[in-house]
Amino acid sequence: MSGSVLRGTAAVFGDFVAADVILPARFAFLPTAEAVPHAMAELAPDANARLRAHPILVGGNAFGYGSGREATARVIKAAGVKAVIGGPFARMFFRNAINNGVLVIDCPALIAAGIADGDAVTIDLDACTAVTASGCFAIAPTPPIIRSILAAGSIVDYGRALLAARA
Amino acid sequence: MAPRPRTIAEKILARASGKDDLVRGEIVEARPDFTYAHDFAVFAIDAFEAMGATRVVDPDRNAVCLDHATPANNKRDANNQARIRAFAERHRFRAFFAGGTGISHQVMVEKGFVTPGALVVAHDSHTPSGGAVGALAIGTGEAEIGFLWATGRLWLKVPGSIRVVLDGRLARGVYAKDLMLEIIRRLGVLGAVYQVLEFQGPAAPTLSVSERFTLCNMSAEVGAKGGVFVPDAVTEAFMQARAQYPYTSVAPDAGADYTETLALDLGALAPLVALPGREDRGVPVAEAAGTRVHQVFIGSCTNARTDDLAIAAAILRGRQVHPSVRLMVVPASRAVMAEAAANGDLAALIEAGATLMPSGCAVCAGVHQGVLADGEVCLSTSNRNMPGRMGNQAAEIILCSPATAAASALTGVVTDPRTVLA
Ligand code: SF4
Repeated sequence: MSGSVLRGTAAVFGDFVAADVILPARFAFLPTAEAVPHAMAELAPDANARLRAHPILVGGNAFGYGSGREATARVIKAAGVKAVIGGPFARMFFRNAINNGVLVIDCPALIAAGIADGDAVTIDLDACTAVTASGCFAIAPTPPIIRSILAAGSIVDYGRALLAARA
Repeated sequence: MAPRPRTIAEKILARASGKDDLVRGEIVEARPDFTYAHDFAVFAIDAFEAMGATRVVDPDRNAVCLDHATPANNKRDANNQARIRAFAERHRFRAFFAGGTGISHQVMVEKGFVTPGALVVAHDSHTPSGGAVGALAIGTGEAEIGFLWATGRLWLKVPGSIRVVLDGRLARGVYAKDLMLEIIRRLGVLGAVYQVLEFQGPAAPTLSVSERFTLCNMSAEVGAKGGVFVPDAVTEAFMQARAQYPYTSVAPDAGADYTETLALDLGALAPLVALPGREDRGVPVAEAAGTRVHQVFIGSCTNARTDDLAIAAAILRGRQVHPSVRLMVVPASRAVMAEAAANGDLAALIEAGATLMPSGCAVCAGVHQGVLADGEVCLSTSNRNMPGRMGNQAAEIILCSPATAAASALTGVVTDPRTVLA
């Protein structure tokens, strides 16, 4: 992501969707492109299609909890997701998403106020707000290191630039 | 000016990031003392290579132990494992352990790579296990292990700590696993997110390193960043002749600021099971008693050490596993397997009808062996029971102690171990 504003439509998922449900471990060794069709496929028949249809994933309480396998973040990114909002989110899910260039924002109030599939969401990192048809919600400031990783594209891109600068 | 009184996690992170004092919630760049990896290291190698890195920083402070899909199921996994081995050898890692050595968390503690007071990271959510010996052990993703290899640094948020005060003694038939299922039941699956559980209190010195391991391991199940026991004489005795690196134990300061205190009377606990679907669904075993069980798994990094196998063997010795149950026993490491072979516990389990499998993760994550059929119930000493965890979403997993697992293997239904203990 570049700049501070991210806009898109939402795909809304419920509470306690475990990392093992987002992508079962047996698919975690697959090349990411081959794993994407399995992402959230066990949650509901339409969950994979909904995941791919919208750039903003609204995940409920504890979305992504449990396993810390990074394949979970890789498939979400490859499915086209740019930001995950709602939560609160598990810390390894948070780290892995950020490291793959997917913004993660804790903002349970946005879900409580009401949001449905296809609704527009605007996240502004400078203003520290998330806006939906239901209201404008305050979000915590995003620390500089996380902004740098997102701006670079991923921790790999960030690391590549860091090593190049040192050389 | 002396820093304010600090928790174990704050003291370890301050040292590893070269700062005197830290602000909770602040992000620091830290240099871990030890890092390890397992089969998923292929993705760390991908990241390392994609960064254009050529040299691993501190290879002597790195190790690999393959555990998730060993022995390899297919040529993809076999090739991945060969690639990881070649990488570890080329970069002169301190150690490489092939499949069969054991589960990485177990092996790194058992062989003394995880030391008291150290900041340890690994790309696995159950890394907090290392808190059993007083390390701050934190799970990360795979790409950031590649980043760490390349740069020697990692960004970490300074966590708050929950003081878990343990008092009293566990009653007969009640174990560390039951205690942890109770803690998880009380806190919920994200009840300690961005927190470290710091275990202390009058009962702490009575718990073995193996029992501490079970508690720290399942800190992951409350979303914690880590779990850590205050190092004591038990820790020192365990580290003797084992520590791979010099270390300095770290205790919390008197008056350290905790976000919360959770007090537990061990004597008041009864055996628990966590009902299918979520780890915080703990209920007294009596409430689930009689539930038909198809598979019993005594394994995983949570509960498959020598003492766990001894508990199961004491219940199953001279008896037979119920004919409708498959009992799978997977010692947490080869060292555990050897010890249980030498003391006769393994023979007792096998004679009772257990299937012995190579040390590794095996059944736990549904990647490798022991997958369940539709509609089946597995009673497991492992740490997770979300839908599909063991490879089939149409099956269910109930978590319990090795004693409850063994007692239920005997009867074919969920059984309170106190009813079968001699
Ligand atoms: S035994 Fe299970 S929980 Fe432990 S490291 Fe292996 S897969 Fe993870």
